[in-house]
Amino acid sequence: MTKNKEGSVPANGSVKPKKKKDTLLANTRKHLPFVIFALPAFLILFFIMYVPMGGIVMAFQDFKPMKGFFESEFVGLDNFKFLFASKSTFFRMTRNTLIYYFIFTAVGTFLNIVLAIALDQFVFKKAGRLMQTMMIVPIFISFAAVQFIVYAFIASDNGLINKLLGTSISFYSEPKYWYVILTIVKIWNSVGYGSVLYMSVLAGIDTALYEAARIDGANKWQQIVHITIPSLVPMITVMLLLSVGNIMRSDTGLFFQVTRDSGALFDATQVIDSYVLRAILSTPEYGFTAAASLFQSVVGLVMMLLANGAVRKISPENSLF
Amino acid sequence: MDNVKDLKKKRKREEDNVEKGKKTLGQYILGFFLLLYTLFCALPVLLVFIVAFTSEESIAKKGFSFFPESLSMDGMHSVLKYGTQLVTSYGVTIFVVLAGTTLGLLTMSMYAYAISRPGFRLAKFLSIYLLIPMLFNGGQLAGYIVFTGYYHLKNSLLLLILPLCVTTMNVLILRTYIVNSISAELLEAAKIDGANEYLTFFRICLPLMKPSLAAVGFMMATAYWNDWQNAVLYIDKNSKKPLQLLLYNIQKNIDFLLNSNNVPQAVRDAMGGTIPKNSATMATVVVVIAPIMLAYPFFQKYFVKGLTVGSVKG
Repeated sequence: MTKNKEGSVPANGSVKPKKKKDTLLANTRKHLPFVIFALPAFLILFFIMYVPMGGIVMAFQDFKPMKGFFESEFVGLDNFKFLFASKSTFFRMTRNTLIYYFIFTAVGTFLNIVLAIALDQFVFKKAGRLMQTMMIVPIFISFAAVQFIVYAFIASDNGLINKLLGTSISFYSEPKYWYVILTIVKIWNSVGYGSVLYMSVLAGIDTALYEAARIDGANKWQQIVHITIPSLVPMITVMLLLSVGNIMRSDTGLFFQVTRDSGALFDATQVIDSYVLRAILSTPEYGFTAAASLFQSVVGLVMMLLANGAVRKISPENSLF
Repeated sequence: MDNVKDLKKKRKREEDNVEKGKKTLGQYILGFFLLLYTLFCALPVLLVFIVAFTSEESIAKKGFSFFPESLSMDGMHSVLKYGTQLVTSYGVTIFVVLAGTTLGLLTMSMYAYAISRPGFRLAKFLSIYLLIPMLFNGGQLAGYIVFTGYYHLKNSLLLLILPLCVTTMNVLILRTYIVNSISAELLEAAKIDGANEYLTFFRICLPLMKPSLAAVGFMMATAYWNDWQNAVLYIDKNSKKPLQLLLYNIQKNIDFLLNSNNVPQAVRDAMGGTIPKNSATMATVVVVIAPIMLAYPFFQKYFVKGLTVGSVKG
């Protein structure tokens, strides 16, 4: 809508603005300082985010880096044929992306809530805060560093776990362990951080509610089930819906760094984002990679719009737009 | 907002009372489980620090362990052997963090201020322009080709700074703060007193935005400090390698040596001196993660606030 207004600027500009009418051009001129304020960020977004959007043409080209976007030959939907035909790679990475999305969302949300309630109910507040500080720390360690920590635990020759069990499992070549390993690393990394948001909701519950429940003879457990959890439902709904918009995206560091990009593990660890990164770092099959990226972006866009629509219905103040 | 504050205060008073009266068995059990989870989070970090000071013989014999047989400073010493590269990388990382965070905070708060002004009709277009990149993007590959092939920015620090500089979410957080916490009357009054738009923003609005700037600034600084992906994609000159890329390279070097049996012996010997030992690797990790871990507790309250503010639209 607003874009159309933008399109009409030149038309308005050629006609002299009538005195009382606040045309877009007159309004913009009047507020010129705001335009100048917005300009630097506008330009950064333009060059970093908008220009690469033009790169989606690669998905429809037989792209050659020497020729560039303008000279490369268009091949219609050929790349997409290739995408869906080469089941082994595309199917695998899409499946993995979805599997991890569901595991992480389910386990993560559950643990976020449990932890938030536990910390909220804990009466030793000082100790609670100190523990919370420690729980948040892992989110600040980059995956480039995390992978060394994981290595210390699971290295086949001198890893902590193998030494403890007296075994020599080579985790880096056994895909079957990785659903568990990556889930544990993800929990370690983000649950302490994720619970902060839920705790802020819990801090807003009027204690009179608990008081009343206590007088009515409700025990702690009943209070949690009937007061605490219901009060979290709106936030849970919103967070879940918003996360749906990122269903095709993954934490690249987790899948690329922590697995050491080990080819033997791809069956269980390769997601779209880590595939694309690996492709760029070696020699990409441009058409295929671009088609996969476009697929990822389009699915993400559709999911995001659907999710935002749903959030707007349930809780308008939490919708993104 | 005030209502919530009152509630919180009231709540805290009651908590204090409860704390005196209700140290039941259940609370101790709860505390036990919370402590277990805290250990789950903290012990892996502790292991890094222990291994960094473990002697190489102990690692060979007992593996990575919380209870090494013998300690040594060898790891730290060989980190110093990277010497110049480590200092260079620290310099690059610190420059990128400072330049990126400053540039980002400035440009984003200016943008947030502009789109929050009532009566500025272009604001709607600018808001939509801001939201689109969150919904749709060209993907990593397109970015890579445009940045290196068309902008010719390979090995430029700009590619470590600009991609993380302006993010939709952060602008929204700042805009929410301006709308909710800075009184429109105050800004209006400044204008009546003769301040122009620039003075109003830089002298009145920006100083009042401090809490939100601290929150967003800390999150940005952490993102810059931890960014490895842009460095892996765009930087290969030693003089421009940030810390995270150094870590990534260390791992790649180990893989290279382990996986290539046909590397000539002479090459191996030559590289022998630079193969990072386990303790040296962990010592490098310590050097990389320690600054953030030391800084974080000081910023925790801002950071928690920012996270909370970010979830509520203005």
